[in-house]
Amino acid sequence: MRRISYDLLFVLLAAALLFFLPATLKALYGKASVSYLSLLINATGLAILALSWDILARTGQLSLAHAAFYGAGAYTTAILLKLADWPLWLGIPLGGIVAVLLALLLGSVTLRLRGIYFAIATLAFAEVLKAVVQQLPTRIAGGAAGINVAALFRPAFIPGEMERWEVAFLRNQSYFLVYVGILLLSILVSILVQRSRLKPAFTAIRTNEEVAAVMGVKPARYKLLAFALSSFLVGLLGASEAHRIGSVLPDETFGIGTTVFALVTPIFGGLYTTLGPILGAAGLASVEELLRRTFEEGYLIGYGIVLVASILFMPKGIVGLIDSLKRRRRKLPRSAEEAV
Amino acid sequence: MDLTLLLQGIVSGILASGLYALVSVGLALAIGVIGIVNFAHGEFFMVGAFITYQLFISFGFDPVISLFFVAPTLFLLGGAIYQSSIRYVLKAPELNQMLLTFGISIILQNLALLIWGGDPRTISSVAYRSIGYQLGGVSIGLVPLASFLISLVIVGSLYYALLKTPAGRAMRAVAQNRMGASLIGLEVNRVYLVTFALSALLAGLGGVMIAVIQSPTPIVGFAFTLKAFAIVVLAGLGNIRGILWASLVVALSESLVATLVPNGDALRNAVFFAIIFVVLIARSRRLA
Repeated sequence: MRRISYDLLFVLLAAALLFFLPATLKALYGKASVSYLSLLINATGLAILALSWDILARTGQLSLAHAAFYGAGAYTTAILLKLADWPLWLGIPLGGIVAVLLALLLGSVTLRLRGIYFAIATLAFAEVLKAVVQQLPTRIAGGAAGINVAALFRPAFIPGEMERWEVAFLRNQSYFLVYVGILLLSILVSILVQRSRLKPAFTAIRTNEEVAAVMGVKPARYKLLAFALSSFLVGLLGASEAHRIGSVLPDETFGIGTTVFALVTPIFGGLYTTLGPILGAAGLASVEELLRRTFEEGYLIGYGIVLVASILFMPKGIVGLIDSLKRRRRKLPRSAEEAV
Repeated sequence: MDLTLLLQGIVSGILASGLYALVSVGLALAIGVIGIVNFAHGEFFMVGAFITYQLFISFGFDPVISLFFVAPTLFLLGGAIYQSSIRYVLKAPELNQMLLTFGISIILQNLALLIWGGDPRTISSVAYRSIGYQLGGVSIGLVPLASFLISLVIVGSLYYALLKTPAGRAMRAVAQNRMGASLIGLEVNRVYLVTFALSALLAGLGGVMIAVIQSPTPIVGFAFTLKAFAIVVLAGLGNIRGILWASLVVALSESLVATLVPNGDALRNAVFFAIIFVVLIARSRRLA
């Protein structure tokens, strides 16, 4: 329990820092802080995506359906706003819940599938869901043209008291805080998984499901739990993104890109850790921004190169690299965990 | 129901199945012999298509001639990718193998986007592109017919090679038992290299045909990776013989859904995924 309280203290500290970050940026950089905040929002979103994927991967389930849960969250809030006159923010938790329901459905039919079979089945599920959403009556889901989604925040421009860019700043600041909130929730979930009995259970299932079952760990229960936790977080993210982007489109919202980002980031940062996906997100978001400015199309090539290079030269990610540097300095042997 | 429409759907499905078999047999070979599930398989297909396009635009090469350029190029490309990356992850966890090929796929796809942009590329001025035959209301295009026949010839010779030639026997031996194959003196690593290169070559040849049949964009490869997965999964992972009938089933169901179901053209792709999903789930239940 002592380690978990250290973790929580650290998270609280980080939360406080992040909370004041927008104001600090504004004071330091003025107008430029708007685009810095955009970059930070992207990085935070990527971190949520990556961390939620990692939580599921800890049970050995290499899902390629992350875009489906993201899209489910986004479409839930979009459809609700279109059909009913509900408060704007309600779509976000509901998006998470719908994503969980879908995840439980997918998780329960894929329980027996392993490794590559599981990956292909989840990919197929995501693509079928995309096609189904596209085929829904236009009145409900907008077909291929998608649905427009109202913005969560609409700061008013007050002439004389503020400048034009400050509206954009206020808007970005609000979104940033929402994203930071979801990220903190994801970090808390991840820490609870890592510091409780769930960690050995997840690890046992990942390493050898039969042995885990013999030892009394019920694989089905934990695999579904991981699915639910992971999809809830990414569903929240999808719903928030729908508001921020302003629309949902089948090809964009359910695009394979979301799945690619979700799995490349933890691998780059370090799989099966809390810190890894976050570090990976920070690194990749910056790299992406640079590449996006250089190339118009095909900037995703950077992700491909990072993915291939990480697997070949750095299979434990940034976190693994830091660990091995630390060990080398202290001349400690490789830990048992690392040898697995 | 309109009978000619049904017939047309069946004929188009059969004609498409040849190309599907050609592309999937390469994937099945990589899975069966090397044990690598290659997410970049469709990208070899795409590269084949764009080389064909470029040869046509720059030098006016007929796509039929391009077959003989694309084959060695893709063989070398496949070999180079195997040597530079795949061979290092043969013993790594499945996750790493899968993600490595996924990364290669992203790189090739975006490289093509950087070179050719995202617009569809058409080889429109080939004279035979518009030739077609009418058989009692059913139209048969020359290009799909030729691609069907060429694919059958290639797949047929591959089967023959696997059965009768030393290289083919070596591949089958490695597929059956890696350890045993190396004990009787086969150089397993070289067999892997040749198999992977051959697998890329087969996909590339399929790409030459799609360059004439459709107007491909750099993302065409991903769709074909998934189509090939559907076929390979239906045939049984690594089962090379089952590819022919599995291609026929998948191509027919795609074509029938597209022609018979109202608004079915948009559902075209969902058919594959539905097949993959149902087959995998059904298999996993039967195993249990």
